[in-house]
Amino acid sequence: MTLKSSFGRRQWRTSHPLNVRISHWVNVIAGTYLLVSGLHIFLDFPELYWGHTGYRGYPAIFKLEDWGLSWDEAGSLGNRMWGRNYHFTFAWVFLINGLIYVGWNLRTGHLQQQLWLNRDELRLDNLHRDLRQQVRWTLPRQTTTTEYGTLQKISYLMLIFVFVPLMVLTGLAQSPGFTAAWPWLLDIFGGRQSARTLHSVGTVLFIVFVILHILEVIRAGATNRIRSMFTGHLLISSSTSDIRRDGEMSSADT
Amino acid sequence: MKASFSNPIQFIQQHQISRRNMLSSIPALVGLFSSGCSRDTFIPPTIRTGLIGVADVLTMSANRFLLSDQPLAREYELSDIAPEFPTWGQTDPQDEEYQQLRSRGFRGWSLPVKGLVRRPTDFTLEQLKQMPARTQITAHVCEQGWSAIGQWTGVPLVQVLNAAGGIKPTARYVMLDTVDGWYEGIDLFEVMHPQTILAYNLNGQALPIGNGAPLRLRVERQCGYKNLKFLKSIQVVDSMASFGRGTGGINSDWGFHWFGGV
Repeated sequence: MTLKSSFGRRQWRTSHPLNVRISHWVNVIAGTYLLVSGLHIFLDFPELYWGHTGYRGYPAIFKLEDWGLSWDEAGSLGNRMWGRNYHFTFAWVFLINGLIYVGWNLRTGHLQQQLWLNRDELRLDNLHRDLRQQVRWTLPRQTTTTEYGTLQKISYLMLIFVFVPLMVLTGLAQSPGFTAAWPWLLDIFGGRQSARTLHSVGTVLFIVFVILHILEVIRAGATNRIRSMFTGHLLISSSTSDIRRDGEMSSADT
Repeated sequence: MKASFSNPIQFIQQHQISRRNMLSSIPALVGLFSSGCSRDTFIPPTIRTGLIGVADVLTMSANRFLLSDQPLAREYELSDIAPEFPTWGQTDPQDEEYQQLRSRGFRGWSLPVKGLVRRPTDFTLEQLKQMPARTQITAHVCEQGWSAIGQWTGVPLVQVLNAAGGIKPTARYVMLDTVDGWYEGIDLFEVMHPQTILAYNLNGQALPIGNGAPLRLRVERQCGYKNLKFLKSIQVVDSMASFGRGTGGINSDWGFHWFGGV
């Protein structure tokens, strides 16, 4: 389907397969619950420590008190019972959803095709240019392609294969039951309290990722991009070279 | 899964339980194996509705599957012990009888062990201290997020149940209650674990009041809220429906997970 407009020739292209769209929105729901419930748990004990030991009165490396919110004020904001119930519930939703997403898309080849970096992309000058454009906010509006940028691919790969596994492991390393089964969880992070601290740092990184992700979506055309995550079709303005590239994408996707 | 339980001898050898202890453990073990380490090991006594209930079952099942050969929780070195073990929650129950016992140094205190045991018995603190003891340096993990390492000395719960004649075949849970009205149930999988002890010493001293004197439960693979302080009595049961709102503990009655492994 093509349509003419004053902006030139625009075409609908297949973007995300159905399973990717579903898992994306499940992640939005699960991620929101994990974040909010995690904050509730944290607010009920708003200090961080390093090592195996940490309790109120023990030397802390972070105290919310130092940032203007007293222990009691934080406690009145956080409901850890609600937090724990929903944190562990949506941890399972997030984990199962993620495993299905990775397994499914490795099998169909969609993940390799969209996220694997080729030799050209990994060249230093390309990475440098991509980074420069990101930082200076001069990246061209990506309305001409369904392909991901290099840094975009790297951040998605890091998110899926480094960040999420580390969040799961630092979470499990706080559990007396799971550390009894897997004591190495305590060793790799240097202790239960270190794992809790790293889990909290991860939460901040997750918030940063979500903010950047939303900004990029806005830059690339919020309506078009968000719609494509529901419908699987992206409206793109095509040039000759893009038609060839997108033609390949579409045939591989469908 | 079941293979590791169908071989109690191997389990006993792995955990270096002496022959004498092994023989005295037989009544409790018979109870365990006849109860069959089946549903109770993997599924909480009551399942909450909705997605939370599904997650509860997944969490408990996954954890128990990984613990199926009953490993010990990490035991630490003397040098890891926290400079001062925190006191949290109830630190001095204002129960009249408790305060009287406390003023007498807990002379006259005793722990009734009742329910589905062959010889229901009240054990004095001295009798409990004469039973084979276990000392362990472990991390107390509070579900709030704090943790502290301490050295606990106490009598394995299995020893106490054996001293009361062993558990009956219909036994499924041990319900403990405290002088300040708390109650928590643990399943036989946790009861028979070597680190599940009734502790009377912390860091080589008599258990301080703030930490639950004269006797508290240690279940090292579950969060602090299952490790009841100020124990009053122990009851072996086949159902926990008659306690509180029937979910198997005061914390799960309030809305926490019954299984405290995470």
